[in-house]
This record gives sequence, structure tokens and C-alpha cells, in this order.
Amino acid sequence: MNKILFFFISLPLLFSSCIELIDDLTVHNDGSGTFKYTLNLSASKIKVNSILALDSLDGKKVPSMAEIKAKANSFAANLKTQAGITNVTMSINDADLIIKLSFDFNSILNFKNGLEAAVASIRSSNQGEELNHNWISWDGKTLKRNSPLMSLTISEQLKETDLDLLKTGSYTTISRFDRAIDKVEQSNTKINPARTAAMLKVNTYDLQKNNSLLDNCIYLTPLKNK
Amino acid sequence: MKKFILFLFCLSFSNLFSQSELLIPRDAVTVFSINNVNLLQKISMDELVQYDFMEEVHQELFDGSTSEKTLKDAGIDFNQRLNVFYGKSDDAELSGFTFGISNSSNLFEVFDDFEELQSKYENVKVFGSFFNNLIIKDNSALLIRIEPSSELIDAQTDSIWYARGNSYPYGYDDGEFDFDEEIFDEEGFDEDDSLISPESDDFPIANEDPTEKNYYELRDSVQLELQKGLLSKLLDELLIENANLVTSDVIFKEQLTHPCEGTFYLDNSRSLGQTNSLWYFQTVMPSLYKDIKELYTGNIILGDLFLKEQSIEFLVEARYGEKLGSIYQEMNDSKFDKNITKYIHEGNSAYFTYNVNMRKAYEKAYEVIMPIISSEKNSDIAMNVLAFELLNELVNKDALFETYRGSMFGTFNGIKKVNTKKIEFYYDEETFEYGEKETEATEDMPIFTIGFSIGRGDIPEIVLKNLGRVTSKFEKHDDYWVFKNAILDAAPLYMINKNDLFIFTNDEDLALNHSDGYGSNSLPKKIVKELKKEGFMNGYIDIAGTLNRFPSDLLNERRSEMINSLKGKSGKMYLESSKTTNKSTNFKLTYEFRGEENSGKHLLDLVNTLYIFSK
Repeated sequence: MNKILFFFISLPLLFSSCIELIDDLTVHNDGSGTFKYTLNLSASKIKVNSILALDSLDGKKVPSMAEIKAKANSFAANLKTQAGITNVTMSINDADLIIKLSFDFNSILNFKNGLEAAVASIRSSNQGEELNHNWISWDGKTLKRNSPLMSLTISEQLKETDLDLLKTGSYTTISRFDRAIDKVEQSNTKINPARTAAMLKVNTYDLQKNNSLLDNCIYLTPLKNK
Repeated sequence: MKKFILFLFCLSFSNLFSQSELLIPRDAVTVFSINNVNLLQKISMDELVQYDFMEEVHQELFDGSTSEKTLKDAGIDFNQRLNVFYGKSDDAELSGFTFGISNSSNLFEVFDDFEELQSKYENVKVFGSFFNNLIIKDNSALLIRIEPSSELIDAQTDSIWYARGNSYPYGYDDGEFDFDEEIFDEEGFDEDDSLISPESDDFPIANEDPTEKNYYELRDSVQLELQKGLLSKLLDELLIENANLVTSDVIFKEQLTHPCEGTFYLDNSRSLGQTNSLWYFQTVMPSLYKDIKELYTGNIILGDLFLKEQSIEFLVEARYGEKLGSIYQEMNDSKFDKNITKYIHEGNSAYFTYNVNMRKAYEKAYEVIMPIISSEKNSDIAMNVLAFELLNELVNKDALFETYRGSMFGTFNGIKKVNTKKIEFYYDEETFEYGEKETEATEDMPIFTIGFSIGRGDIPEIVLKNLGRVTSKFEKHDDYWVFKNAILDAAPLYMINKNDLFIFTNDEDLALNHSDGYGSNSLPKKIVKELKKEGFMNGYIDIAGTLNRFPSDLLNERRSEMINSLKGKSGKMYLESSKTTNKSTNFKLTYEFRGEENSGKHLLDLVNTLYIFSK
């Protein structure tokens, strides 16, 4: 009977999925700001729930929703302890499969260090090296962002059949500022009419194939002297 | 004349004893015997060692010595059978295969890790490697791996350990151990953790004397000695007493005479003791276990494989002992429910029908099993017997068995889009602020139907009506009930309670448009007629429509390869069963293939499938 059940449960895994990622970074003139991160899997509920129903997949243990929540909460708890990080909130909507994280930081350096430390706390010792580079920098007039290598490293481990699943997914990165954007390096970036926000949306499959699609350098207009 | 007859007898006798099957240990419980080994000439050794039935012995073979070699290159004699066996007793697990040898030099190019050991048996050479042993008698060989059970090793080791005056070997007493469950942190698992450091604090130390073995060293030695002892006992039986499966089991011996490409043998009565679920009975209530074992006496599954030009036929006979057979006979004495076929679309890529009479099976099982259980002098059992007898008297069996008659069917209706809901993020073009909205979505889903024969449709209706009051997720429509988001929290499940059937399906089309069946698009009359005529279980799979869409990623590497080996083919599998008597039921599995690979490969694929499911 278990074999029959296994058969029916496993069949949905054949089918395509859709992943939506949004990272929304607000940087104030003094370098403080807010980071919001959203993972939306609601369009793939059947696929994700069918995976979660399994004990293991491809020889690897599949975590339960409770274990995922525990891991996420552990991450948030660690983030709260990081210097310069405040107002950490983590919410998991397990009915619609949406995970949201948001927190404030008092400098880009604290944002970078805090996130790296929190990620390292939930990963094993030989992982996390992908964050050991300068993936974000801010000098008061220019924000430089690189690809989210953490996600890319995971996707590099995916098989070609899994990669197909990324084709319908999207990664949206939004950067917000107190003052106007002068110019951006990535030509596909959309800038809002007030020129205070830049949005770049890429396909997750394309991003896996070309790591530099999200690399961007955003130049702001000079600060007005009071 | 007498001498001449004796000469002929001895000649045939000696010839008989040169055959590979005479090296199959009598403790083997499962045997696959491939008769027409010629079919396998083109199979490469590399392919062969990938099969599951080779996994216990393959470590030695899969080390490069098999590279680009076929079975023919390996010195295998194709005039003898290739027998793959597996067995498990209370003390040991054994696995291996026996085969004929045409060229021993070529053989040892493949089995290049074996060293010759001293043999006490006449005309028999014994070879050993780290895991396996190779025994060559005349022109036949036995490759065997025998592993003593961990229970036996532990018992022997503990006995010696404590007899030497050592204390509890793990550094804490039973009472001190904290049984709080630990959550295994897979992310934190380091491969190096699998290697236990000799310096570890947990490592039991025998005493201060470095020449004295610690617990694990002692256990290793015990394991090795037990292994040697078990092998020696097995070889004495095989080579001195001539006690093998052929000489000890007339059923197996007779099976080997069948003119077919391969045979299959599984002695369920002997494998019963190794069933974990019966462990409690075996240890706590041995007399009840003995009675249950008696019930299974004669429970043997025999199979013959016939290879045809574009198909393989697998004829299986499931034999029972008298008591168990009487239950099966009553259970399968059921009129085929013709309503079932109305709900199987002629285009379904897979379906099965299961036609039994649970009422009759219950009555017979009660008659056969209750006296066995009642005779047990055990208070727990006595209370269970009391509960059973009261239930038997008090429960309305007419209502119960009219609600669940036992007959059922299932279909795989292909892949369809199903409507789901998703959360979509929308962006304000002015500010790039975003919000959420629920929108319609579609996801691909396998569509299946499972239905049960029912005589009291009013009873599930009572359940559904009340569930509908509890939650708005249950909704009644004219022809069906729907349970919203029942499947994986995303897709609806439909329930059809009509025509003496209770059907669960996620096929919206079936529920909305065909709640009385598919009419002229249901199974053709010819097939319906055959289903009515045949036994209790029948099935059909179109490999192209079903297995080709099977998510083989979910399986381990070899099993995935097995499924993949069937992929790309446009074959079909049919399962038929005969009427059940109190002695046996016959099954026929036909695998029609149109792949380009050679027949031997197909045969091995099927043998491997059977091995996985029988192990």
C-alpha cells in the first residue's frame, strides 16, 4: 500500500513550478535602511506540498514544514543578535507558501555582516563561502549590488531537469533611496517617475545561466547642502 | 543389465550434479533462475553489476575488472543456468548467485580480487575476498556473501565481553541513558562524522592493556569468526551432505524442470520469521507465532518466465496451505461488479480492478483464525478475543460489509491542468510598492480515480452530510460531493456516490460530466467480458503513458535506471488472475515491448523488478 501511496504522491513532481523572489532594499542617506525579502511559492503549491509529503527526495531527507519553520525562526533569532540589526520579523504563510523576512539596519556594513552571520549560523561549516565576497557596498552616493550568489550556488547543484523548473520563476530586486537616482549600470533597470526607486526583474532560469544579470551599480544625485 | 542401468543412472546423476543449481544453498528463500543464459551473452558485466540483485556481491566486481567485458568474456558457461538467490534466517543473511564456468582463466580476470583458500572438500576450490567467497566445483561456481545477523554478533560479543569481567561497554549504564529524541540536523552533518575517531570518548576501552581488544575490536573478531563458521556450515551442507535447495525442496526441483527461460521461487512460509511485524509474536508469544507460521505453511510463490519475440510472459502460481487457502478462496469468490467498467475510460493509460468479497473472507477468517488465537493462554490475547467476539455479535455486519464490500478499481487518467489559487504580487508603477492579490492559476496534476463497490450508499452520505456542516470545504452538488483543497492543499477532491459505487477522483471532468460513467467511451465490451471471466485482480499499464511520466528522480540511482530502462519504450503490461481455489491462484503478467534493446536486457529488467518487490 505504501508503494501505491508513494506512486500517487510522487507523480505531481513531474510538473513545472513557479518561484517568485523579491528583495526590497531601502537605503537612507546615512546608510541605514530596511531590507525585505519575499519568497512566493503559491503558484507551485501542488508541487511543493507533494515534495513536503515525501520523506526523502533523490536520496536526501525532505524537511517537514515544522522543520522549515524552525530553521527560519532560528535564522531570524540569530539575525536579531547581530550588531546594528533591529525590528526583525519573519512570517511563514504555510497555506499559500509565502515566506517574508524584513529587518532594519543602521549601516550597509552591519546589513552585510549581520546577514552573512545569520546565514552561516544555519548552514554547515563547509557552506556559506559564497557570501565571502563583497556582494554589496555603499559609499554614500553609489550602491553596488551583485548577484545573490547564495541562491546561485544552490541552483548550480540542480540537475538540468530541475533547472527547467526555474524557467517560469522571477527574481525582482528593488532599491529605494531618499534622493534621486542619477543613473544605473544595468540597462534593464526600471526607475520610478520620482527617480527614488530602481527595479530590476529577471527570470530565475536566465539568472542561473548568467550570474551577472542582477549586478547593478546605482549612482545617486549629490546630496544637497542644507 | 543391472550394471548397465546403474551405469546410466550414475552417468545422469553425475551430469546432474555438475549443474549450477546444485550449489544453491537450502536456506535460499528467493531464487531467480535464468535458464536460457544464451540470451544474456551480449549483456555487459558493467550493465549486469548495476542491477539490484547484484548489489550484495557487486563490490568486488565493480572495480574496473569488469570494464567493457560481456558475460561471455567473463568465462560464463551459457549451457548452465544462472541462479540468483537471497535468503535470511534468524542467524544470517545470505545472497549470491551460481553459474557455470566455461573458461576459468577468463573468470578470474573479472574476479581478480579473490585469493585461493585451503579447501577441505574434494574437487572443490574455495576462494575468498574481503566480502565474498567463490566456490568452484567441477565446472560450476557459487559466489556467495554471508552475513551473520547483528543480534547474533551482539549476543556473542556481549557474552565474551562480560565473561572477561568488563563493565558496560558504552561508558554509561542503561539507566543513565537519556532517551530524549534528538532532531537530526542534516545540514550539520559532516561526511567525516561517519568515521568514528579512535580517540573518541565514547569508544569503549577494555582495560589499560593495549594488547587487549576493546569492545568493537572484539565485535569485529566475533563477526569474522561467525562468518567463517556459517560459511563452513553452509559448505559442509552443500559439498559433503549434498543438501541444497534442489535436494531439500521438491517444489523447487520440479520448478526447474519447466521449459521456460527463467523461473522464480519465493518461499513465503520460510520468510515469515523474518517479517519484522511478527517479531512481537515470535518473542513474546512463541506458541501463537508457531500457529501463525503453520497457517502460512505451503505459502509459496512460483513463477515461469517465457520470452517471446516481442513480449515476456510471467506466469505466477501463488500456492497456499489449506487453512489460508480456504480464506483466500472465500475472499475471491465474488461476482465481478460490472458497474466498475463504466468508469474506466477506454483511453486510460493504466487501470486495475480488484474483486473480492470481504464478508465471506471475514466469516472464513473468523472461523479459521479465532480458534488459533483463543487457544493462546495470555491475558492480553484473551481480552482481544473477548473484544473480537463482542464486536462480532454487536456490530451490524450487513451494514458494514454492504458499505465496504471489498471490490475496487483504480485508474490513471493522464495529466491534466487543474485550477488552483495563487498569490500574485502587483507593483505600483509610481513607487514600486507592491501588494498581494489572489488569482486563478493552473497546475499540472496526475489524474486518478479510485472507486469501491458499495451496497449502502446512504452511510457515506451521512458522513459527508455531517462533514459539510462542520466545514464549508465539503460541498454537495447534484451528482457529486467536492472537498475543496483536499489534495496537497491546492486541488479539489470529488466524491461520486452513485450506481452502487463510491468514487474518489480529482478528475473534474468525471465528476461534472460523467458521474454515470463514460458510456460508449468506457472499456470495450471484449475487455469487460474478459474481466468478468477472470479472477480477482487484473490490471493494465501503457508504459508510454504512465511509466514514461514517472518521476524517477525520486528513486535511488539503480531503481531510477530500471524505470528509465523502461522509458522510451512503447510497451504494455497486462495482469490477469485466475479463479482462486483453496490451493492456489494463478497470475499472468504479460509485458509487450517494442524497444530496440535485446530480449535479454528486457528479461533482466523484469527479473530485477521482481527481485526488488520480493526482497
